[in-house]
Amino acid sequence: MADISLTVNGATHTGSPEVRKTLADFLRDDLNLTGTHVGCEHGVCGACTVIVDGRAVRSCLMLAVQAAGSEVTTIEGLATDGGLGTLQQAMWDSHSFQCGFCTPGFVMQATALLSDHPDADEQQIREALSGNICRCTGYQSIIDGVLLAAQRNRTLRNRER
Amino acid sequence: MAEIVAERYTGASIKRSEDPRILTGAGRYVDDIKLPGMLHAAFVRSPLAHGRVLSVDVSAARALPGVVAVLTGADLEAMTVQAPDPLLALFTTGGPTAEFTLLATDKVRFVGDPVAVVIAESRYLAEDGCELADVEYDELPPVMNAAFALDPSSPPLFANLGDNIARPHSRNEFGDVAGTFADADRVVDFHIDVHRHQNVPMEGRACVASWDADLAAMTVYAATQSVHITRNGVATRLGIEGDKIRVLAGDIGGSFGLKIGASREELAVAAASRHLGRPVKWVEDRGENLTASGQAREESFDVRAAVSNDGDLLGLDVKMVIDTGAYPGMGTMFPDIMQAMIPGPYKLAALGFESTAAITNKASYVAYRGPWASETFVRERVLDLIAKDLGLDPVGIRLRNLAARTDPPALMITGRPLVGVTSKESLERVAEMVDYPAFRRRQVEARAQGRYLGIGVATFIEAAPGPRGPDGALGSESMRLRLEEDGIVALFTGQMPHGQSHQTTLAQIAADEFGVPFEQVRVVVGDSDVVPFGLTGGSRSATMTGGVALHGARELKAKVLDFAAHLIEVSAQDLLITDGNVWVRGDPASAIAVSEVARRAASGQFGAEVDAALEVEATYDGGQGGWSGGTHCAIVEVDVETGIVKVERYAAVEDCGALINPAVVEGQIRGGVAQGIGAVLLERSAYGEDGSFQSATFMDYLMPTTCDVPRIEIEHLETVPLDADVNFRGVGEGGMIVAPPTVVNAIEDALSPFGVRIYEQHLPPARILELIAAADSGQ
Amino acid sequence: MKLPPVEYEAPTTVAEAIDLLAEYSDEASVLAGGQSLIPLLALRLARPEVLIDINGIDELSGVSATDGWVAIGAMTREYVAEESEIVADAVPLLAAALPFIGHEAIRSRGTIGGSLAHADPAAELPAVARALDAEFVVRGPSGERVIPAAQWFEGYLTTSRRPDELLLEVRFPAAGQGTGVSFQEVARRHGDFAMVGLAVSLGLSGGMISDARLAFAGVSDVPVRAAAAEDLLVGERPSAELFEEAARRATGDIDPPADLHGSSDYRKTVAAAIVRRGLRAAADNAARGSD
Repeated sequence: MADISLTVNGATHTGSPEVRKTLADFLRDDLNLTGTHVGCEHGVCGACTVIVDGRAVRSCLMLAVQAAGSEVTTIEGLATDGGLGTLQQAMWDSHSFQCGFCTPGFVMQATALLSDHPDADEQQIREALSGNICRCTGYQSIIDGVLLAAQRNRTLRNRER
Repeated sequence: MAEIVAERYTGASIKRSEDPRILTGAGRYVDDIKLPGMLHAAFVRSPLAHGRVLSVDVSAARALPGVVAVLTGADLEAMTVQAPDPLLALFTTGGPTAEFTLLATDKVRFVGDPVAVVIAESRYLAEDGCELADVEYDELPPVMNAAFALDPSSPPLFANLGDNIARPHSRNEFGDVAGTFADADRVVDFHIDVHRHQNVPMEGRACVASWDADLAAMTVYAATQSVHITRNGVATRLGIEGDKIRVLAGDIGGSFGLKIGASREELAVAAASRHLGRPVKWVEDRGENLTASGQAREESFDVRAAVSNDGDLLGLDVKMVIDTGAYPGMGTMFPDIMQAMIPGPYKLAALGFESTAAITNKASYVAYRGPWASETFVRERVLDLIAKDLGLDPVGIRLRNLAARTDPPALMITGRPLVGVTSKESLERVAEMVDYPAFRRRQVEARAQGRYLGIGVATFIEAAPGPRGPDGALGSESMRLRLEEDGIVALFTGQMPHGQSHQTTLAQIAADEFGVPFEQVRVVVGDSDVVPFGLTGGSRSATMTGGVALHGARELKAKVLDFAAHLIEVSAQDLLITDGNVWVRGDPASAIAVSEVARRAASGQFGAEVDAALEVEATYDGGQGGWSGGTHCAIVEVDVETGIVKVERYAAVEDCGALINPAVVEGQIRGGVAQGIGAVLLERSAYGEDGSFQSATFMDYLMPTTCDVPRIEIEHLETVPLDADVNFRGVGEGGMIVAPPTVVNAIEDALSPFGVRIYEQHLPPARILELIAAADSGQ
Repeated sequence: MKLPPVEYEAPTTVAEAIDLLAEYSDEASVLAGGQSLIPLLALRLARPEVLIDINGIDELSGVSATDGWVAIGAMTREYVAEESEIVADAVPLLAAALPFIGHEAIRSRGTIGGSLAHADPAAELPAVARALDAEFVVRGPSGERVIPAAQWFEGYLTTSRRPDELLLEVRFPAAGQGTGVSFQEVARRHGDFAMVGLAVSLGLSGGMISDARLAFAGVSDVPVRAAAAEDLLVGERPSAELFEEAARRATGDIDPPADLHGSSDYRKTVAAAIVRRGLRAAADNAARGSD
C-alpha cells in the first residue's frame, strides 16, 4: 500500500492503492470514474487511454502509485459545463461509434493528437489512432469525427482572429 | 398561428440518442456496476486440451485472506440442476447430446476449460486464489482436428457419446444432381478451408449475479443479446421459476453473436451468488475471451462443380465438415443454413450437400456474425476459380449466372424465392464505381513495373429476414407501446442493442408514425420484467422490430385519437397528430399537446366506456419480408517480396431495402467489412497439434486497425419494395459475409501472373509467399 | 489479468537504486517505462519480488551531445528522443527507427534505456544500438562500466548488465558527413514488433561506400550485425547488383526463429528483401545528404 495524491479532472484525490493496482483499476474502482474502460490489460487495445501530465498513455500499463503527483484527465474530464467539447460533438455528428466500449480510449488519444497536431490530415489521424482497436465501426466514422473536429477548431481559431 | 409541420426522421441520419452518454464516459457496462457487498470471481482453468481430472485441491486457495469461497465442479453440481444450454435449448438438430457438468469434474476438454471458481474481495485476490488451486490431471491424447475426430480411433471426449461426432453425417439433394453432373461439359473438384477465428468484442463476457435471500430471487446484470434467454438459462440451471429472476442489461460492448444465453461461467457465478447470498461479479479478461469464450468458422469443404464450357455453374456437390470444438455450441446448427443459402442469387440447377460436425479439444463453436458465411465464401471462390479455368472475367461470369429478377420470382434450388433481388444491379454498379476497365489497364501497367495489383468482387444475399414466400413464416416480433403520462411514447422491446443503435432507429420510426418529435420517443430495453421476449440477432430487427414499431405506433395512435376524440368531442377521423400535438384537421388553433392528452388519460376521471389505457401490445409477422444483399469490390496490392497485402480501395453496393438511418446502416456494413479483412489478413484462433492454444493475447490474435481498413465507399440501391409499409431489411451481417471472398478474390487476381490458386481464407504474409513459391514450382 | 503481489521501491537517486539492486539482486525488476514489463506482470509471466521504480530519478533523463557522441539518459522517454533535434541531426538512424516503436501512447511512457535493457530481439532500438556500436554505461556497487553493444546483448531478453547494476545512459556515435540511413521493418500491422527489421547506416564519400552498418531485428535471439555484407559493401559503389549480393551474404547463415507470424524460411526471404530495400534507401539518403 502506498498513500498517493493526484489530480484527476482538476480535482485532488487521495488513495492508498495496492502497489500492483493499475492506474486504470484505480480510476475505475477507487475513484468511481468508470468512463475509462479495460479491454485487454496488456497494452494493445487502447481502450484504457487517459492523459497523464499532458501525454496520452495506456492506464493499464501504469501502476496507480506511479501517478502520484500527476495531473490526469479522463473522458469524464473533457465535457465543458456538462456539455460536449468540440471533439465529442463532432464525433456525435459523425456517428463515430456504435457499442461505445472503445470510445473513451479513442476520444482521449484523439484529444492528445489534436492538441499536438491541430491540422492532422487523414493519414496522420490513421497512424495516430492505429493503437486503438474498435470492433464495430471499421474506423472511418471515427476518423471523420476527428477530421470534423479539426475543421471546426480551425474555423473557431479563424474567427478569433 | 404557424402551420404545424411534421418532421420526417425515417431515412435520415438522425444523431444517436445513445451518444451523449457514450461520448462522456457515462455509459453503464457490466463492469461499471458496483453493488454493496459485491464479490469478484475468477476461474481455475485447464492448461491441457484433454485430460482426466484426478484431484482438485482448493484448500490453499480457500485459506488465502480475501478469498471468500472456492467452488469446484463437484460443488456446483450439488447446487445446480443439470440442464441444456439455454440457447441450444431453442434449437434442436436431433443430434446426440453430450453429457457434461457445469464446470469440469471428471474431464477437461479444451485449454481454458473451467474447473473451479474462486470468489474473493477483488479480482486481484481471486486470481491469486486461482494460482493456489492444485489440480492434478492425467493427460489424454488431444483431438486437434476434425479429420482425427472423425476417425473412430480418436479418444472420445464425451463418454456417453462414444465417438467425436457432434452431428452425424447427413446428405440432401436438390434438383437432379446425378443428371446435371453427368451432362455437364466439365466437372471440377476443389477442397476449400475456412480457418478458425472469433468474435472478439471489445467487452468480453460479463455479469453480476445478485441473490436476494429474503425474496429468494435473483437479479442478473448481463451483457447479453437477449435478457429472456439469459433469464431462462439461469432459472433452469438454478432450478427456480423464471419470474424469480430479473435480467437487466445496460450498455454492452459488442457481441457479434457471442453473448447469447448464459455461459457455463455465468451460470456458475449465479449459483455462487445464491450460495453466498452476496452479489458476485465476473468480467472475463482478454485471455479468457480469446481462449475460452468460443470460436467460429472452422469448416472444410470438398466441392464438385458441374460447369459448362461457357461458364454456367450448373450444379454443386458439397461435403462439409465443421469443427465444433469440445462443448456443444451452435456449430451443429449452421450447416442447414449454409445448405439453404449456398445457391445464392444464382441459377444453380442442382445441389448436393452433405455435412458432418466433429467434436475436438477446442473452445466451442459459437455464432459469429453471419455464422453461415462460408457458403458465400465457397460459392464466390468457386466462381472465380471456374472463371480462371475458362479464361472468363469474374464480373462476366457472375452476370452470366445470376438469376434474372422475374415475376413470379425464380426459386433457389433449395426453395426460397429470389423476390426483389437486385444482385445484377449491384454487380454492375460496383464495377462502375471503381471503373473496372480502367483498373484492368492500370493493373497491366503496374505489372510491367513489378507491382501486383488485383481486383475482386463477390455477390451475396442475406435472409434479413428473407422473403415470406410460399412456405410462409418469418416468425413474429412483439412490442409494447405506451403513451406515458408525461407524453413520452415508450416502446418496450426485447431487442437488446449492443451497437445496433436501436434506441435511435426504432424511435425514428415510431416518431414518424405516431407524430411526435424524435426526442419524445423512448425505447426501453434490457429488463426481463418489463420487455417482451426478444433476441437481437440474425439481422432481423430492421424488418421485424422496425415493422412492429411502425404498426404498433399506428395502433397506439389510433387508440390515442379515439381517446382524444372523447376529450375534444369530435370524430377520431378528423384528428391528426403532428409534431407532438393532436389537432383537428384544418384547425391549427385546436392543437392540444400529446402530453396533455396523456395527462388527462392518466387522471382516472373517465368511466369504463372510455378506453383511457393508452397502451398496445403489438405483434408483427414480418410482412412480405425480403432479401438484403449486394456486391462488394476490393482492390489490393500484394508485395510479393514480403507477402504484405494492402487493401487499397473497397467499394460496396448494398440493397438492404429502405434505410431507417443511413449512417447506422453504413456503420454496420463497414464494421462487418473490417472483420472480413481481419479474417483474411490477420485473425486466427490458433491451436497447436499438441493441444496448446497459441493466440491468447492481442499480440498473437491480431485485430485490424485504422491502418488496415481503408475508406469503404458505399452506395445503396433503390430497392424493390415488397410491402406496403415495411421495406426495411437487415444489414448487420452482410459485410462480414461477403468481405472475405471479396478480398481473397482480389488477392488471387493480383497473384494470377504467378498462377496462384487460393483454396483457403487466411492469408498472412508467410502464406502468400508460400503460395507464390508453390505455384512457381508447379505444385 | 491482474498483476501478482509485488513489493515496490521508488528510489530518487542513482545511489539509492543501486543499493536496492544490490540488496534484491535478481529478485528485483527495474521498472522504467513499464510498456514491456507491466504486460509481463499482468500475464503473470514475470514474478519479481520487488519492482524498483526509477521514474523518480531525474538525473537519468536527458539528451546531450559531446565530442562526437550523443548521450541519452536511460529514462529518456521515447517520444522525447523522437522530438529531439540533437537526435534528428546527429543520430538519424535512431530518429528513423523511433516512429516504428509501438504507438504514440507507448512512446509516451517507454524509455530508451528500458527498451535496450529489456533487449527484445524483435524490437527496434536493439538493432539500432547494435548497428551503430552504441555504448551502454552501467553503474553498480563496484563502480561504473561502459559496455559496447556487441557485448551488451547476450541472449533472448538477456543483457550483460549484472543484477546489481543500473543502466544510466546509452551513447550513440554522431553520424558523420555523407551518412545515409534507413530503418526497414516488415510487421503484421503498423506499430507491431518486426517479423524482420533492419537498421542500416551507410557512409558515402566520393560516390563510394566508406562505411556500412547493418543490423537485423527478429532473426535471432539478439540483434545481428550482417558483417559479411558490410565487408562486401565497403569500398564499392552502390548498385543494384551489389545490394543483391549483399542481401545474399547478409542472410546466408541466419537461422531465424519460427512462430505464429512467420516460418524461419519466411523471415529469411524477407530479410534479404529488406537488405536490398534498406541499402537502396540509405544510399539515396546519403547521396542527397552529400549534395
